[in-house]
Amino acid sequence: MAQEALTTPRPNRVRERTIKPRTYWGSVGSKLYRDRITMLAGMLLAFMIVISVAAPWISVHVLGFSPTDVNLRERTKPPTWAAASWTTFQEFTGSCQSKSGCEWSLWRPILSSSLAGLRACFASGPGTCHWMGTDEAGRDVLARGIYGGRISLRIGIYVAAITMTLGVLAGLVSGYYATTAIDDIINAIILTLSSIPLLFLLIILSRIFTPGPEGLALLIGIFGWMGVSRLIRGQIFSVREREYVMAGRAVGSTTWRILMRHIMPNVSSIIIVAAVFTVAGAIIAEAGLSYLGVGIGPPLPSWGNMMQGSLDNFSSAPWLVLAPGLFIFVTTLAIYLIGDGLRDALDPWVSAQSRGREG
Amino acid sequence: MGHYVLRRGLQSVVLLWVATLISFSIYQLAPGGPLQFLDQDPRRSAVDVARLKHLYGLDRPIPMQYAAWIAGEDWYARVRGMARWQSGLCAADAGRCSRGIVRLDFGRSFHYQGEPVLNLIAGRIPATFLLAFSSLLISIVIGIPLGIVSALHRGRWPDHTVRVSTVLVSTVPEWWIGLLLLIVLGSYLRVVPLGGMQTIGDGSPGDVLRHLALPATVAAIGGIIGFSRIMRFEMLEVLNQDYVRTARAKGLSPQLVIWRHVLRNALMPFVTGLGGIFLLILSGSVLFEIVFSWPGMGRLTIEAINSRDYPVMMALFVITSFLGIIGVLMVDILYGVVDPRVRYGNGS
Repeated sequence: MAQEALTTPRPNRVRERTIKPRTYWGSVGSKLYRDRITMLAGMLLAFMIVISVAAPWISVHVLGFSPTDVNLRERTKPPTWAAASWTTFQEFTGSCQSKSGCEWSLWRPILSSSLAGLRACFASGPGTCHWMGTDEAGRDVLARGIYGGRISLRIGIYVAAITMTLGVLAGLVSGYYATTAIDDIINAIILTLSSIPLLFLLIILSRIFTPGPEGLALLIGIFGWMGVSRLIRGQIFSVREREYVMAGRAVGSTTWRILMRHIMPNVSSIIIVAAVFTVAGAIIAEAGLSYLGVGIGPPLPSWGNMMQGSLDNFSSAPWLVLAPGLFIFVTTLAIYLIGDGLRDALDPWVSAQSRGREG
Repeated sequence: MGHYVLRRGLQSVVLLWVATLISFSIYQLAPGGPLQFLDQDPRRSAVDVARLKHLYGLDRPIPMQYAAWIAGEDWYARVRGMARWQSGLCAADAGRCSRGIVRLDFGRSFHYQGEPVLNLIAGRIPATFLLAFSSLLISIVIGIPLGIVSALHRGRWPDHTVRVSTVLVSTVPEWWIGLLLLIVLGSYLRVVPLGGMQTIGDGSPGDVLRHLALPATVAAIGGIIGFSRIMRFEMLEVLNQDYVRTARAKGLSPQLVIWRHVLRNALMPFVTGLGGIFLLILSGSVLFEIVFSWPGMGRLTIEAINSRDYPVMMALFVITSFLGIIGVLMVDILYGVVDPRVRYGNGS
């Protein structure tokens, strides 16, 4: 009788009323989905990635300029739509240096001729308008900018991968084996790397080895994992004496299993957030090295080395400084906002606060 | 305290030794070796290369080259059996012997017609120090009040303003901000000079100060962000302490609680951030010196790497590491002085 009751299927009334169980990652996803700023930032970053990936197509079909086409007749030309207003603008800045002060009335013609130029540019087909001007070799700055994203974003992602691998490994090991010889060795390496001026070393090394994007990412990554390692080590200190780790040890789990199954999930949110911020940091670091002429060398365009050409004439051609900087600004701002949103979404305590009753 | 200082001092010596190892291996690892530029000369012969290698002592085993670089080779002649380890130049002319970097002989520059490297660098140190210390000062003077204000008004508009602006500033390279300011303030408005440390023919303190203002402020951006974050964190930490609640409960005025109880305790850990930020500013000096044509060690580094001037590169790396290590050591000792827990604990 009892046997029968267990095996015969009964209508499951309970199931109809159960709420679908919410996993941690499910709640993270829905929190992110509801976070407008993070979603906007995500779209912005997706846009930057898409134009970088599609750069060859865009440069042919939309812009009509190749990033490597040298045109010596078009050297350091202002954006085509601003060709007329640029001279007026220079008049304005000139007036600011005179004793009578800035001639603010000049802004009316500047704005109207820029608008007219923009309208003409939109109407014309590809290959006529340099939207962001040309550089000292007459190459289209916008085409170089979207191609530069291919290098800069790639380096950012590579560096994050290298930094995270090294940093997480070192942090896990030194946190779990705290106050043993391994921990001491890792701490000694961190102490060494964080008490020498690394930029000098990076500059010298990248000059000597003249690495490509992968090599440069490796260099930046090798000298940039210490912060992550410290962060992870600190986190592990807070979880390694918890009951579930003790229990794991008591039932005879291997160290690797304890690290991967019990400790890693508890620090994974920190790792993800740190990885996102590392991408932004790496893009900025690459820009610095390339600006100094030791990172990505020509003919490959990167956001940093595009500004290198502006070294001598930055005041007469400010678009050479502005345009690559804007690319960097938009990309890293999006990454920062995503990182910020992820930090809130991944933190279960934040959800408890913001969701009020449920928590 | 003495024990702590001694331990940190020894640690710093080891770090410095590691820095010399890194510097020396750069020289050894360079593809083609330091005489690689000879490969570009079509008329070079194997004999010439071998002769030059012997002259510069590059035919010796690597440990002997390292020893000669560190400790010098002038005394080899006086020690039996060591004379054969001298470089060709030294064997021919005792005046050309390396005296080793322990006696501050960094060799002669390849590029600047045999100018002693130390002279080259010593000429650049004051400019770098002027820039680094003034931006450190600016970042303390601005960063700490910012941190305090945002901690005291946590979650309200001053805090948000500080946070949003620090995020916005850290999304672009600081040197790029410098370039923009240089274009607007230097080129369009002419309120600051376009670069350099002084007007040629002038060199008065006022003139240097005018040239220093923009570079020092821009170089301080990273430090301002760093200090304001540290300070905000520390203030919030201290504000939650029991003794602050006690001070409030016994009826002290809010100002008195902040000044006497919170600030004094929150300022202590800020010293730990000092070392890291000094290093950040020293490191960043390369970029700022290029942007602002500042005649310091950073610019010398770029000049040296562009001319493959290995002795200068190695010396610059060792000297900047030395400055960084000494800076961090001094900050740590200072920290030991102000915080008794460090002295007696394990100090790490």
